[in-house]
Amino acid sequence: MGSKVKNAPGGKENKIGFFERIGKAFSNFGKRFVDGSIGTKLSHFIFGAGNFYHKQYIKGAIFLLIQAAILALMIFCPTINNTPYGWKALANLPLTNVSKGGFDPATGEFTTGSDCKLMILFGFVTIAVIIIYFIVWNLNIASSYKADMDRKVGKKPTTFKEDLKDLLDGKFHVLMLTPTCIAAAVFTILPTAFMIALAFTTYNQQDMNEIGTNLFGWNGLQNFTSVFTGEGSLGVEIKNRFLPVLGWTFIWAIFATLTCYFGGIILALLINKKGLKGKKIFRTVFIMTIAVPQFISLLAVRNLLGEYGPVNALLQNIGLIDKPIGFLGLDMKDSEILAKVMVIVINMWVGIPYTMLMTSGILMNIPSDLYEAARVDGASTMKMFFKITLPYVFFITTPYLISSFVGNINSFNTIYLLTGGGPTHLGYQAGGTDLLVTWLYKVTIDQGSYNTGAVIGIFTFIITATITLITYRRSKAYNEEDTFQ
Amino acid sequence: MSMMKTKKYRSQSRSRRAGLAVTYTILTILGIIWLIPILWIFLSAFRCEYQEDGTFIGIVTSNFFPRAIGFENFKNLFTASYYGVEYAFPRWMLNTLIVAVVDCLISTFLVLSVAYCMSKLKFKLRKPFMNISMILGLFPGFMSMIAIYFLLKSIGLTGNPEHPEYSMIGLILAYSAGAGLGFQIAKGFFDVIPNALVESAKLDGCTNFKIFRRIILPLAKPIIIYQALMSFTGPWMDFIFAKVIIGAENSQYWTVSVGLYSMMFGSYPDPNWFTQFAAGCVIVAIPIVTLFMFLQKYYVEGVTAGAVKG
Amino acid sequence: MKKVLAILLAFAMTVALLAGCAGGNESKPTSGSNDSGTTAPTQSGGDTGKGGTIRVWVGEESAEYYQKACDAYLAANPDFGFKIEVKGMDTGSVAGTITTDPAAAADIFTVAHDNIGKLAASQCAKPITDQSLIDQVLADNPQSFQNVIYSVLDGQKYLYGVPYISQALVMYYNKALVTEEQAKTFEGLREAAAEANTKAIIVTGDDGYNNSFALLSRKVSNKSTTVKIFEGAEAVSGGSKGTSYCQGDDTIATFRWLQSYFEDPNGFKWASPDGWEKDMKNQGALAVISGSWNYKAAAAALGESNLGIALIPTYKLTKESVEGLKDVKEGDEYRGGTFADCKCFMINATSDASKYVKEQALIKYLSGKEIQNESYLEAMNVPAYVGAADFIKQCYDEGKVSESEYNLAAMQVSMAEWGIPQPFLTGTLNTYYYSKNTPAIFRAIIEKSAYPATGDKVIQETESLDGIRKALYLIQYIWMHGVNPKEFPATYPAET
Repeated sequence: MGSKVKNAPGGKENKIGFFERIGKAFSNFGKRFVDGSIGTKLSHFIFGAGNFYHKQYIKGAIFLLIQAAILALMIFCPTINNTPYGWKALANLPLTNVSKGGFDPATGEFTTGSDCKLMILFGFVTIAVIIIYFIVWNLNIASSYKADMDRKVGKKPTTFKEDLKDLLDGKFHVLMLTPTCIAAAVFTILPTAFMIALAFTTYNQQDMNEIGTNLFGWNGLQNFTSVFTGEGSLGVEIKNRFLPVLGWTFIWAIFATLTCYFGGIILALLINKKGLKGKKIFRTVFIMTIAVPQFISLLAVRNLLGEYGPVNALLQNIGLIDKPIGFLGLDMKDSEILAKVMVIVINMWVGIPYTMLMTSGILMNIPSDLYEAARVDGASTMKMFFKITLPYVFFITTPYLISSFVGNINSFNTIYLLTGGGPTHLGYQAGGTDLLVTWLYKVTIDQGSYNTGAVIGIFTFIITATITLITYRRSKAYNEEDTFQ
Repeated sequence: MSMMKTKKYRSQSRSRRAGLAVTYTILTILGIIWLIPILWIFLSAFRCEYQEDGTFIGIVTSNFFPRAIGFENFKNLFTASYYGVEYAFPRWMLNTLIVAVVDCLISTFLVLSVAYCMSKLKFKLRKPFMNISMILGLFPGFMSMIAIYFLLKSIGLTGNPEHPEYSMIGLILAYSAGAGLGFQIAKGFFDVIPNALVESAKLDGCTNFKIFRRIILPLAKPIIIYQALMSFTGPWMDFIFAKVIIGAENSQYWTVSVGLYSMMFGSYPDPNWFTQFAAGCVIVAIPIVTLFMFLQKYYVEGVTAGAVKG
Repeated sequence: MKKVLAILLAFAMTVALLAGCAGGNESKPTSGSNDSGTTAPTQSGGDTGKGGTIRVWVGEESAEYYQKACDAYLAANPDFGFKIEVKGMDTGSVAGTITTDPAAAADIFTVAHDNIGKLAASQCAKPITDQSLIDQVLADNPQSFQNVIYSVLDGQKYLYGVPYISQALVMYYNKALVTEEQAKTFEGLREAAAEANTKAIIVTGDDGYNNSFALLSRKVSNKSTTVKIFEGAEAVSGGSKGTSYCQGDDTIATFRWLQSYFEDPNGFKWASPDGWEKDMKNQGALAVISGSWNYKAAAAALGESNLGIALIPTYKLTKESVEGLKDVKEGDEYRGGTFADCKCFMINATSDASKYVKEQALIKYLSGKEIQNESYLEAMNVPAYVGAADFIKQCYDEGKVSESEYNLAAMQVSMAEWGIPQPFLTGTLNTYYYSKNTPAIFRAIIEKSAYPATGDKVIQETESLDGIRKALYLIQYIWMHGVNPKEFPATYPAET
């Protein structure tokens, strides 16, 4: 990684392999220590020393500050909820050094026992901090070494101002990507790693015992094998319900994607019909469902279709039915198939406007000479739709199809707000319309079975990631991406 | 010859008019179907019915059209205390507005900057960054809620009894932090801007920053508006994450969707709040629907860009 | 390289941020206390911030009153040394909020007593050791409450909860369609329902709490039942789970009676998935079994003038329900039972030790009889102390409360005689009772549907005597062991 430093700008080495680069980087570390100035040598121990040596005070101070902050964190081990960061957090990671806590009745002093979930989380944060420490370490040496080299060829080492300026040009992407990288590390990567880690533990609030649920340990692959063996707290549930839920998730995703996709295209064609007036009004009507928060609009749908809702009342009044119909299968006696059909239908109500808007834009861009030519050939409207419009739209929107398929696999709101996963299957968490993602919610947030939830989460991830990667890598958008550059 | 032509034209226009009539009918029927649930909430908000003994009926009823209408629900909504907070609803609205505006500014900036880098700058980690960001978005979010809560707590931005208001900052961070990873749509938009524009500016000695500010941003108005709209509306719709980050106990700092959701789905919700809830929904929906209506054009452009380039 | 730099710098700044803030936090109270044994408080994080305030969480409906009471207390005790802040919380979910992050919770909080074991085990609560407070608790509260407010820490038995509100299931009914006499028996209700062509009564949920009306039903003549739930469980480390039993003939007969009452077109109805209050409002049923927390909802559904409140009715065993059973006979009269619970004050484990003495003093004041009485008048909280019924009656006679307010309180107090408090001394018992799917087995019996007992064994015949016995055995086994049995025994009732 450091190899580029002394070769400075250029980028001839873009093509070397990853491992080669690492090897080179290692050899570079030694080289820089031997070849570098006294400042560079010192930089190996005190961050920013080289910069101070080269009179780049601000840069040096920044490096030094970072080192001081990290070392302070590592040594002093600040605690949150009685769980430490720093070296103690690393020592805590095996989850063996746990305390049950204690109470002194005389003073009222209560020492809270260990909290293993925080031990894991803070341990991971500490590992991330250590990685950062070494990255900054390397950066600080590189920065000093670069100044060495500049001096050698008679240039002045860059000033802080020049560095800042460079951030606006050559290193513009550094400036632009930094916030997102920080954010991604803290709010996405660390929590995700934490979640994955829980899959290998016994953290499960259903296993409440005398020492509570804060104390738990590592569990190896047992949670994964329980999917097949049916052991553990939710073992029976996972064993008996995993495949049905997975199957329904796929059926749902396929139907939800296709219905909304074709429905949207047809609606767009209708609205964009030549000579139709009030396009804007129609479009606005359909946009309402996008603009109204889903927990409101879906709740309204649920009310309307409820046991005592206006729809059932109407059907009863005109004598079509004599008992209310459980459209949404909230109760275990309601028809599961009806509920499944209903959520797909209602999802069209939610999803069609999106596709409509999107295809509206595309339809307007279809070269009109295509249609002219077809018309000359005497093609019917139907034929033109199937031979020109559909292929054209389909060609352009493949990436959207993929992303909406994956989106539907993870479609939480529709199911959670409409049916809550019902109809219930007696003795199981996963109901008839539960998708993997709503099941995951029930298992973790409602039941507190974090380890089982993590296993379901990982499976869901593997499925969605595989689909996305395979289709995305094959898609035109990905492969031709570079041609735009 | 010309006679024939006009005849043909006439018959064509007649069949066309018939086709249009069918289209109008279909669209009107569909439009009604699409509006019914929203109309139901709207009507409920203005429902003003009383029991025989004079008590107000605030509960869901089976009659679609109200027997009496009025502004009672709105009046109650704006003056009542919910969850121990006086004038709770206006407060929640204000909270949400603050969160949404700040989130909108930060998120839009992050998305644009990342998208620009990915589309117009060349650097070594570009492809890996793109792949990683796509994959990271696929992990179900619930599991990370606790982790994010405690990470934010570590820097005092939530679970901080002395400064419960800080949790709003925490929420803004949590909302906007991930935004940069959702750069794909904006990138699709930037990809369409010809590279020649950028190259020639570079030859003129423009820095990357200048190119971004002077060339890209002015061209990016539709996508800026699209992103702003998306990130602005997000906080008005989220009812799960916000409650975890802000905390059930800090009801005065809830966002409006957490408040409204709790009114209907708390442990022991008061069913008599339904019409007030509906009134709240109408109030929340009005600004968002208005925004969508006015910015429709940009929204369409944004969605289309996203669709084309994924 | 530059690209890497970008990402690196990003990380660096994260660290600086984390280290900076966290480090700053650290430098205040914790640094010296590791092993030097200084008097500095060991708590960190949220606690340092609580400073001179004691925060109290009570139920939402009574926050206003308790803030007033606390203000009065402060005025009377100027040397108390802390400010008091009262906040109303959703009592249904507060235990979960506390467990997620105890350090962010209040110093004193209110939970239903069945959470005591859970909160103690999760180290969210601190034992109560002030002798005068303990004396007050023992003097004021009925034995049944005293049995269930202890839990275990470090192998020791401690008092954890201080009861100050009691609650029990009652029945709300539609006075417009049910007479007071009809509301006394399930048979009467059915009669009224047949007239109105609807269902008699709603069961709001199939969870272990709402099931208690059936499970804990007692013979009217001697108020007895054979059901035992963790009876005599010990709140000590490794203590026994006590005795559980639910295979008695009276239980079987009750479940058979339930089966028929559920099948009856004018019998039981599960609450509508849209909410039981919609059943009530639309006359989908005439009555509902629920508690004071749903009083407002019931009033909203029926209108206050139509709302009747009664004891859970009685029922007579039918010929079919006693067939093949020894200890029960046709015509035996039973009354639906209840879990008769209390809400308790508890002290947060992470609360600063310097507040400990004052917290207990405050709890002693807030749980005193006078404040309980006042809270009844101001916030309709039913007092928990022995003899509260007299006060409730007196208030009614003096015209201080309305008839339905009086009824609500009086019925809960009377129902308490027909029930037991949820006996969950440790978190384990609570989890075994509620979370291990036993409620689903109840439902399977009641609805005569099949139930997946173990991985591949399914109880098919919850209709037959044998099937009911199997299912009840299963329930009892899960209460005791937290898992399903590997095999079913050959004869019943069987040891678990």
